[in-house]
Amino acid sequence: MTSALSLVGLTKSFGQKRAVDQLDLEVRRGCMFGLVGPNGAGKTTTLSMATGLLRPDAGRAEVLGHDVWTDPAAAKGLMGVLPDGVRLFDRLSGAELLRYVGLLRKVPLADIVTRSAELLEALSLTADRDTLVVEYSAGMTKKIGLACALIHAPRLLILDEPFEAVDPVSGEGIRSILRNYARGGGTVVMSSHVMELVESLCDELAVVAQGRVLAAGTLDEVRAGSTLQQRFLGLVGFTAAGEESLAWLRSSSDSS
Amino acid sequence: MVALLVRLKLTLLRNSLRRSVWRTVGLILGMVYGLAVVAAVVVGLIALRFTTTALTADVTVVAFTTLSVGWLLMSLLVFGVDETVDPSKFALLPVRSKDLLPGLLAGGLVGVPGVATVLISAGLIITWARTPALLAAAVVAFPLGVITCLLLARASTSAFAAVLASRRFRDLAFVGIALLGVSLGLGGNLIGAFASSDAGLLRQSLANLALVAGWSPFGWAWMIPADVARGQWLYAGIHLLLAAALVVVLWRAWGYLLAARLTSPVETAGESRKVRASSWVERLYPATPAGGVAGRCLRYWRRDPRYLAGIAGFMIAPVIIIVTQLANPDGLPELAAFAPALVGWLVGISIAQDLSYDGSAVWLHVSSGLRGADDRAGRIWATMTVYLPVTVLLFLAAFITSGEWGLLAPVTGLTAGLMLTGLGVGSLVGALWQWPAPPPGANPFQTSNTGGLPAVLSFTVTSFGTLIVCAPTIGLVIWSFFTPWVGYLALPVGLVSGFVVLRIGITQGGRILDRRWPELLKAVSEKAG
Repeated sequence: MTSALSLVGLTKSFGQKRAVDQLDLEVRRGCMFGLVGPNGAGKTTTLSMATGLLRPDAGRAEVLGHDVWTDPAAAKGLMGVLPDGVRLFDRLSGAELLRYVGLLRKVPLADIVTRSAELLEALSLTADRDTLVVEYSAGMTKKIGLACALIHAPRLLILDEPFEAVDPVSGEGIRSILRNYARGGGTVVMSSHVMELVESLCDELAVVAQGRVLAAGTLDEVRAGSTLQQRFLGLVGFTAAGEESLAWLRSSSDSS
Repeated sequence: MVALLVRLKLTLLRNSLRRSVWRTVGLILGMVYGLAVVAAVVVGLIALRFTTTALTADVTVVAFTTLSVGWLLMSLLVFGVDETVDPSKFALLPVRSKDLLPGLLAGGLVGVPGVATVLISAGLIITWARTPALLAAAVVAFPLGVITCLLLARASTSAFAAVLASRRFRDLAFVGIALLGVSLGLGGNLIGAFASSDAGLLRQSLANLALVAGWSPFGWAWMIPADVARGQWLYAGIHLLLAAALVVVLWRAWGYLLAARLTSPVETAGESRKVRASSWVERLYPATPAGGVAGRCLRYWRRDPRYLAGIAGFMIAPVIIIVTQLANPDGLPELAAFAPALVGWLVGISIAQDLSYDGSAVWLHVSSGLRGADDRAGRIWATMTVYLPVTVLLFLAAFITSGEWGLLAPVTGLTAGLMLTGLGVGSLVGALWQWPAPPPGANPFQTSNTGGLPAVLSFTVTSFGTLIVCAPTIGLVIWSFFTPWVGYLALPVGLVSGFVVLRIGITQGGRILDRRWPELLKAVSEKAG
């Protein structure tokens, strides 16, 4: 069976800096996959290349067997995308934006109407359906972005920091939507730097730093008996300030 | 404190220049422009010394009152609160408003408008240095007038800070400025037309205007030397008292408002603007990707101030031509009849910059796999929906007022040909070059980012390319001036060639988009600065 998402040797440089370096990644179908890494690890760059928003210098990206860069129409039709740090057409209301995405995605009009209503309800945005997106709070903007990514019932969801600025109640709503989606056979790839979130939500994950995959596999494989937080810090090369480095502090407080 | 605040303002200015070469270029251009204006005004003021005191009085009062009103309007509409030394930034510091006032006022003089105002106002002394009494009056009027200008700007922006910070007001102000530009252009041309017909009438209206201006709060200070020149000492005294009182009142009011802001800094109010779930836009176009793009664009034409200002901008030239040619007894009605063609010519520019206006939001088109041709076609439908009625109205206005119905065929041919060709060329050019435009709602006057080379290329290639591609129709229209029946050829040629170019623009522009969507996304979302 082909993978939901398959990245082979993806490489991208910005000037001198190599943002993503020969990155390989396989995501099996029906999996909740977490992409974790410190700031500047290349998560957003990787996801942009996987979704057809940024042309890689080298390497391949395939979605359910369709190459994103040679057969973009087929690959993009199967994906729902929530990028981070880009604007939306924010002079549309939430409902108008959903309808717009539906039309772009060639969803039948009747489906757009019913799905929009359901999505807005599930994400508790119904009261703000006729408010311009530019007036939305950061969390609401994330939620409407997620709704836009879901409206065409994609087989693969690629979400860049989907929980950022989302309040705990809405966050739980999004979690249950994503879990249901994965249970129904859908695949989710999401980036995050909140380890607890990935630990509680994802089946598999990859740790990325300096544009490379440092570890990948199921949660237990990557954790290798430790906590994800400890394992992650170990992988990215952060040596925690141990007992010795605090010793001088303690001794000074003792001596005084 | 005064020196500290002025130094702070200078430091901020220097740092902002260091951030980008374009800011430096902008400041230098502003300085050159300001210097040219100052030089022209001072030369004019010196020239006034060779005329009568009555004329000097009327001209200076009207001109300097305009300057004061300008300070009020410009600071409210264009500049908003001076964000470099925003009073609410001092809210955390242990300072009193009355310590800040002199420094903030002096800081207002730093910059091109402040320096230019001082220099221009100093010209008042030069022009009135005719007798000791007049000189003394001008010397008194000069500081009063300048301080009134600065205080008007400060007090009004502080009073309306909450309103100025709201996005809706900025949108309205943007459109208001565009309309102000139109009316100023129109007014200037009309006055010119009248002036050439009746000099006596002009002189009389200037005197009336000066009387009104001089008794309005904006003109009190500037009226003092004019009263002295007329020998009306009582009025001079009254104006002096009024001007001084105005300064005191404005100072007090500003101090009060500033004290209020120091304890409750303005935060952008979280307005919640609902839209009516109107469906007529949705029914207007088919439920296809291209129809979706068209509906979205049409909504933006209504909700995005940049588009509204664009319409106003494109309408300026034709309306000015029609009005002036008809108001002027020596005007050419034929020229007025051809004015609608100008809009047809300019429409393409709007299509060419459409993608840049979307900014990074266009990722949606990229990730949804939208066909480039659908993107092109949708934008053209929306633009046509907006400009077709506008052009027809302009058309009717031009023909009904000029009565040149014999020109109907060539004018229709030329307008349609230019519009269709322009849309076609614009579609192609828009796919080739994009630049990061300031987002909707951002104050366009605070962004020094003009789009650089791509914007210049886009504008030039679209406007000249349209003329070149439309050459057959243009040629026929010119020929029809000598052989009128040729004008009837221009109509079919304009329509057919226009539709062919439009078709090519959509398919070829679409093909270019399909090839370079990711590069386009990068071009529009590069950070400004």
